[in-house]
Amino acid sequence: MLKENISLSQLLTLLINFLLGSAIVVGVGGDAKKDAWIAIAIAVLIGLGVMLFYYFIISRMPGKNLFEIMEFCFKRPIAIMLSILYIIYFLYLACRVVRDFGELIASAILPSTPIEIISLTICMLMAYILYLGLEVLGRTSEIFTPYLFGFLFLLTILLFASGNVNLYELQPVLGDGFQPVFKALFPTLIVFPFGELIAFTLILPVVTNFKYCMRVSLLGVGIAGILLLFAMFLMIVTLGVDVLLRSNFPMLSSAREVSIGNFIERIDALVVFIMMLGILIKGSVFMFAALKGLEYTFRLPYRYFSLPVAMIVTVFSILISVNFGDHWQEGLELVPYYLHLPMQFGFPSLLLFVLILKLRKKKSKSSTKEMKF
Amino acid sequence: MSILKSLLKMRKKKELPIQIEEPPDADAGADLKTLSLEQLKEKIKDEFGSTIDLSMDDLKTEGKDALLVYLTSMVDTKQLKETFLQSLSGKHDGLKLTTEDDLKSLCKEKFGGAGYQLIETFNDIITALLFGNIIIVFKDLEKALSLSMASSEDRSITEPSTQTVIRGPKDGFVESISTNVSLLRRRIKNRNLRFEKFIIGSETNTSVYIGYMEGISNKKIVEEVRKRLRKIKVHAIFESGNIEELIADKTATPFPLALNTERPDTVAANLLDGKIVILVDGTPFVLLVPAVLVDFFSIAEDYYQNFMMGSFLRIIRYLAFMIALITPSLYVGILTFHHELLPTPLLLGIIAQREGVPFPAVIEVLIMEVTFEILREAGVRMPRAVGQTVSIVGALVIGQAAAEAGIISNIMVIIVAITAIANFVSPTYSFAAAARLLRFMLIIVSAILGLYGVLLVLVFIVAHLSSLRSFGVAYLSPVAPFIIEQQKDVFFRFPFWSMRQRPAYLKTQNPEKMPKTGSPSPPPMKGERAN
Repeated sequence: MLKENISLSQLLTLLINFLLGSAIVVGVGGDAKKDAWIAIAIAVLIGLGVMLFYYFIISRMPGKNLFEIMEFCFKRPIAIMLSILYIIYFLYLACRVVRDFGELIASAILPSTPIEIISLTICMLMAYILYLGLEVLGRTSEIFTPYLFGFLFLLTILLFASGNVNLYELQPVLGDGFQPVFKALFPTLIVFPFGELIAFTLILPVVTNFKYCMRVSLLGVGIAGILLLFAMFLMIVTLGVDVLLRSNFPMLSSAREVSIGNFIERIDALVVFIMMLGILIKGSVFMFAALKGLEYTFRLPYRYFSLPVAMIVTVFSILISVNFGDHWQEGLELVPYYLHLPMQFGFPSLLLFVLILKLRKKKSKSSTKEMKF
Repeated sequence: MSILKSLLKMRKKKELPIQIEEPPDADAGADLKTLSLEQLKEKIKDEFGSTIDLSMDDLKTEGKDALLVYLTSMVDTKQLKETFLQSLSGKHDGLKLTTEDDLKSLCKEKFGGAGYQLIETFNDIITALLFGNIIIVFKDLEKALSLSMASSEDRSITEPSTQTVIRGPKDGFVESISTNVSLLRRRIKNRNLRFEKFIIGSETNTSVYIGYMEGISNKKIVEEVRKRLRKIKVHAIFESGNIEELIADKTATPFPLALNTERPDTVAANLLDGKIVILVDGTPFVLLVPAVLVDFFSIAEDYYQNFMMGSFLRIIRYLAFMIALITPSLYVGILTFHHELLPTPLLLGIIAQREGVPFPAVIEVLIMEVTFEILREAGVRMPRAVGQTVSIVGALVIGQAAAEAGIISNIMVIIVAITAIANFVSPTYSFAAAARLLRFMLIIVSAILGLYGVLLVLVFIVAHLSSLRSFGVAYLSPVAPFIIEQQKDVFFRFPFWSMRQRPAYLKTQNPEKMPKTGSPSPPPMKGERAN
């Protein structure tokens, strides 16, 4: 199998795009109402911890990814069973991401185009990128990330310049106490988007210069968290909390507010660009994680699977829910408890526990061996 | 004395010292010692058949029978008659040509420095003849004398026709490979500049040279170039484009994976950066490998003018490339799907103009773009004498009349014009061609999926670009993979003194171009302390 590597800067941009991905599309932390930004700020801190947790698992055995570590801990048959679970989990998440995007495009940009076409086209693109390999994914995200910052900056300037910003919308701070903030925080905000970093357990092992990997990944989570916080702040102060909660795509709604001199209006396209890039990276990373699982299970290069898997994601992105409301409810009420918590924290904690035990055993064994000589 | 004069004359024409690679030869051919002069004559006649440009004369020189063979079409016959024959058929001074040593001393005495060679097999004779040498075979001697006397009838050095500059040297490469090599050597007077010769094309036997800087170029890349050139098995090479396609890492791409140029200064600068040049006999276009995307946007003139202006023009070039690529598809996408993106007055204006147009936007764009491509092709191919006609027909009849007849809208004419002009900005023709092709793909997708489609295709193009490699070097370096040091020469051109590093992605043997000097500064004024 081809050895491929991504650089630290590519890892950084992948992380930023991944975390912004669908979180910026649908808006997170809505439960906390006006204090969503506080909830996000706390979530970022926890997110750093989550990243450290995954990094800690990977750094025990450098160069091995999640599935290979499973094999080390539980032997191959059980590892295959677990990896099949994870493959399905990652594919489901990819479907959710694609569905989010499909709904966004279908409701905001191309109302008369069937959502299946949107899903199909974006999945084909992901399949092409993944067929070319992880390096290409890294480089693509590296090239587009500056534009992401540029557009976000531009959007901010335009929103402030057009006078839509009302900072009093933030008041009263913590008007209802900490209760709503905690409600938003746990588990929704922690598992989405930060818990989803579990997919990076397949990417971290192939980063060159693993030494700086921890610093860079924490930096990535930090930057993405700050951007997310900033985006939430921007949405609250432009829309106000009532419109924010009623809006399916708050970022898009706030971009529509921009109007300068009757000339710069309706800059939705910019926002869609930000979102599309994030979705593309996030979907691709999930698909890559699933492909890696397939590679591990079938011992075939993952490129072979990219197109079939993309087709599966296309179909199931449509089939997972009947409409957007259903999709939304599923994502907020079911997935965090029954999927995210066990897959993001349950199994990995178990894995880490066994891994540490095994490593200790191995160490003592090898040290006794050394004693003999 | 006449000999001396002729030698001096010949020395001027002498070819540059070039390491000759032995062409792979299956059978070495018959030795000369087994053939008498008559037999040899017959055999050469057999090989060449009844071609009219083969000349075989019997000579008697130094008291010995000899045979002079050459191709009249390849040899400078004037030089041959005036100088060489006079000197050789003159009075001999008692020298006897009986052994090989006699021949050697004769050569040393009379042709020393004239690039003579002693050859002994029949196949060598044939090859030497084909490369414009004259062959003298002496009776009863095992070796024949081969003298380079290739006619030098080629175009004089003129200004390059494709890559013109305002400020900068005005000489360009010509068809003759030895002239091209000398143009390079004159710019880089350095013993580390090396050239190697390859003979490619089983029928054409075309000379292909590679040149590189020893001690700078990455040895692995040089070896890779050699390997790929050796692997080529084609019957004919007429242009460096043939070579480019045969040694590229990937052919299924619209983007050129080798930089071609007509300018010796560009080549010299790139050689010193660690690139490798491939010269092909018979064409003024030379190749530079490995090429990365940013090479196609930077030209030699960027470095000859103020760095601010250089940076500005470079940004303009990137912008123009984007305009050439996406303007028509933006027009289609916005008019078909996203009217709301346009300010209302502008939208009303466009709609009013399009009122009489019977086609949807995409058909309108395709008609105009195809028409323009046809006009452009006609402009290149037509005889120069009818040039005026085409431009009049193109500009007036098609542009204005089509708009007046209500087939296309006026704004469409503007868009096609902007696209076309922006496309001409690209300094390398082969790279602009990629934009021409991809433009059509973008137009069609944007007609189906609007701006979302445009973004989709743009990401697709970027993914494709990041998968490309040129001799193992990522095509998008130094942007992705990102190398911070090289950003001095990508979108901006930093001041000359600050660009001290060779491109890191080439992995050169010596990464530093020059010592750290700092910005030039004026001498200290009176009372000021010099630091």
